Amino acid sequence: MKMADLIDANPNLLLMLQHFNIDFRVSDMTVWQLCSRYGISENLLVSIANLYNGFDTKGHQPFTRKDLLQVISFLKNSHDYYRNDKYPQISNYIRELQENHPDREMKLLEKFFNEYFAEVLEHLDYEDSIAFPYFITLLDEGKAVEQGERYSSKEYGEHHTDIELKLQDLKNLLLKYVNIEGDLDLRRKLLFALYELEFDLYLHSLIEENILIPSGVRIEKEQNV
Amino acid sequence: MEPSKIIFEGLQTIICHSPLDCRVSRVERLEELTEMMGHSPVAILIANPMQFVNLEKEVRKLRKVYPTLSIAGIDFGIIHRQSMLTDISFTLYDTPEHIVHSLMKLQEKSQQSEQEKVEEENLSPREIEVLTCLVNGMLNKEIADLLNISVHTVVRHRKNITLKTGIRSQSGLTIYAISKKIVSIEDIEI
Repeated sequence: MKMADLIDANPNLLLMLQHFNIDFRVSDMTVWQLCSRYGISENLLVSIANLYNGFDTKGHQPFTRKDLLQVISFLKNSHDYYRNDKYPQISNYIRELQENHPDREMKLLEKFFNEYFAEVLEHLDYEDSIAFPYFITLLDEGKAVEQGERYSSKEYGEHHTDIELKLQDLKNLLLKYVNIEGDLDLRRKLLFALYELEFDLYLHSLIEENILIPSGVRIEKEQNV
Repeated sequence: MEPSKIIFEGLQTIICHSPLDCRVSRVERLEELTEMMGHSPVAILIANPMQFVNLEKEVRKLRKVYPTLSIAGIDFGIIHRQSMLTDISFTLYDTPEHIVHSLMKLQEKSQQSEQEKVEEENLSPREIEVLTCLVNGMLNKEIADLLNISVHTVVRHRKNITLKTGIRSQSGLTIYAISKKIVSIEDIEI
């Protein structure tokens, strides 16, 4: 199957390519050709593409250590996308909206978003500086993780939900409650940006839950034996 | 609510010839109105404010029970300042167009607040109380003590509030409560 046809069927895959550091000009390459060009296993790329297309990853082959290191790099890239692209974009829309409607209600909404954004940044930093290095050490066959710095893959899984819940709140407030007159262009852009972010955050946690964490738990078990 | 038949029939004619979609009924006294509102809803009361003299308390009570009721006062030039009990007023020398226009605006407003009320009925009065406490930064235990209920019940109310509004975080609920005018925005520190 040609990559260009897959993108045509689901443009969200562009985001996946970007997180994999794959250029969008995919020419007439098939998935297999693309994978060998970029040194990614077909098993991994197809599994993640399946998540993007709404299928689960059951039945895939076990991921290799190299796959998992690439998953971590994928997740790190998506952090950059949140940090440098999506959240600033949303933040700008909200600021603009607040300037057009300078009432206290909008001011509170902006404050809500800023506090939320700060929490998100903190969480991204936590993953970048603690969780990912832990997995990288775990995957490095030469080194066993020392007992002292052991923190488990499971613990990592518990951190996520809050970010998605507050995003949901923000969407609900805009769709159901906050009184803003007109400004439909700006509000539509804001809502679309929120949906895009929500979609990628959802995929992000799917990848962690279906690929990274189960593999991490498996390796932890192997090392204990 | 106007004792003069001439004025009543004049107003009735103006209203019936206007685009206002409504039925006009005449009552003589406040008790009659209260009784009528018991079985058929009244959107706008047009009243001679003299009828309210010494009945201010009753009028306020009526408005509390029927928050969607709007009151238009007929200004006879006797009471110069706009009566606190009426939403708008007009004089008998205003043009029919002017009177109809202000009644239409009043009708729109009352329909709007009716709609808002239907949505708000999502939350029970108790849930609104709990929400107000939450927005003021109270802890579950403090809310339980204040409302004389168990912490367990407070948690249940909180769950229902989240279920009904779709909002989970406390700061999100604050914005919800303000948008719904459950708390006044002046009470919230920004």
